[in-house]
Amino acid sequence: MSENKFETVSSCVDNYQHNESTFDEIINDEHLSATWDRYHLIGDVLRNDTPDILQLDLSAEIASAIANEPTILAPKSSNVFALKFKAKVVELAKPFGQLAIAASAAGLMVLGVQTNVAQNNDTILPSQIVQTIPMAGIAEPVSLNFQQPDRASQKQAYIEQQRRFYALLSDHQQQIKLGAVAVNVVDNANKNTETDTKKVNEHNK
Amino acid sequence: MKLLSSILLLLSLSFSAVAEETKSAKVWLERLSSSLKSLNFSTSFVVIKNNQAQPYHWFHGLDENDTQLEIISSLNGPRRDILRISDVVSYIEPESPPYSVTSKQISGPIPAILSGDITKLESGYDFISVGRSRILGRPAQLIRIEAKKAYRYAYWLWLDQKSGMLLKLSIVTKKGQQLEQIQFTHLEVTQKLSETLLQLQSTELPVIVDIPQQYQQQTLQWQVNWLPEGFKQVNSNRHKISLTKQPVEFMLFSDGLVDVSIYVNGTKDKKRDADFVMDGATVVLNQVNKGIEVSVVGKIPSQTAKAIADSITIIPPKTP
Repeated sequence: MSENKFETVSSCVDNYQHNESTFDEIINDEHLSATWDRYHLIGDVLRNDTPDILQLDLSAEIASAIANEPTILAPKSSNVFALKFKAKVVELAKPFGQLAIAASAAGLMVLGVQTNVAQNNDTILPSQIVQTIPMAGIAEPVSLNFQQPDRASQKQAYIEQQRRFYALLSDHQQQIKLGAVAVNVVDNANKNTETDTKKVNEHNK
Repeated sequence: MKLLSSILLLLSLSFSAVAEETKSAKVWLERLSSSLKSLNFSTSFVVIKNNQAQPYHWFHGLDENDTQLEIISSLNGPRRDILRISDVVSYIEPESPPYSVTSKQISGPIPAILSGDITKLESGYDFISVGRSRILGRPAQLIRIEAKKAYRYAYWLWLDQKSGMLLKLSIVTKKGQQLEQIQFTHLEVTQKLSETLLQLQSTELPVIVDIPQQYQQQTLQWQVNWLPEGFKQVNSNRHKISLTKQPVEFMLFSDGLVDVSIYVNGTKDKKRDADFVMDGATVVLNQVNKGIEVSVVGKIPSQTAKAIADSITIIPPKTP
């Protein structure tokens, strides 16, 4: 295989050449088409476009699947035969269908449990609900000389900050609920205000 | 001359078209408001934010005395129910024992203004009728509540052409990025009250927490010098943040659609740069300057929150 041909493939991959005959040549040549595949894969990796699961040779997979597919023969056009045939298909299909439903139900149950666990975690660790996005100008220390205890205290500060954010968020929501009151209520109460809101605050342990 | 006149004609046509759109958008929003107040409906919706979906049930109806009954309950995780009978709203939450407040509106996932007086929003927002699409299997009209300036987010509403009800709501940045979505998954408008609301009718709501006005109108030792146009102070008070027990001075502002909380308190730290998190469309921004900690929370862009936080000044105590 000449170096020149690989170059042609490369330029085709990069959309520089649009020549029908070169494409035909690539398709018909096993080595060249393998190169074509590889170049695309390299390009995908570079562009970060690769799927989660890499199926390196999809065409071979499909070809073998087709090869394994049972050959379907056309039944004779006798009505009696057709009926029998149908009945058989139904019989075969039923247990499979039930199995599939049972399997999917099991899948749902597993999913349900998992999401529940995840939610419980969320309530314990509010930092997972909200993501911190540092504003421009905050430098993250990346130096190798950076010392361990500092990192620990930094982590502590981070956790504290997340806690602060979560507390502010929930207080904001509470104040809106109470704020709507101020807009609407016609005030004629003489009760001590401090104790009233304290009551609400104390509830929120 | 001919050209000029035709240009003028075109201009006037397009102006009148814009005016027509605004007018029809407002009519749609007023229809939504009256539907939310007067229909008997049972709906389900999901709130989608932070890559999570939270499902809710929402019931509303009028009893034989035209008393409004309303329930919004969250379906996943610990129970969170909001009940309303006329002007008593009860919040049932895991963080606190159930309590009620006197209010005509529920503070929940659906902006309360949508069932209120929509004209309050006209100073800060434009109403635009955009077009039709299919939502929840129904023909729907898309109405955009667009902020006049970039300080706020836009709200896009998809309304049912038949009942005028809300079918979908998106909170969108000026660049068109969706931050939070409410998608209805079920809508049923009925003649009679639903079973759930009949039960609510006979339920005794928790005790009303009474908060006198003077508590919510305290004078504080600082002031906010900049807010986007249309924001008005709802209240100002001193309280402790329930989770951290941190005493704060607090002001709540609202432009009718968006609520912004501002917290000011002293702290040990001398200076901490501004840092913020996003919970869907809600930003929580926090910074410390000269030993004063300032936090801003609300459904506003982070730049707006930063500008508000930076505009806060301490009023020097008066010498007697």
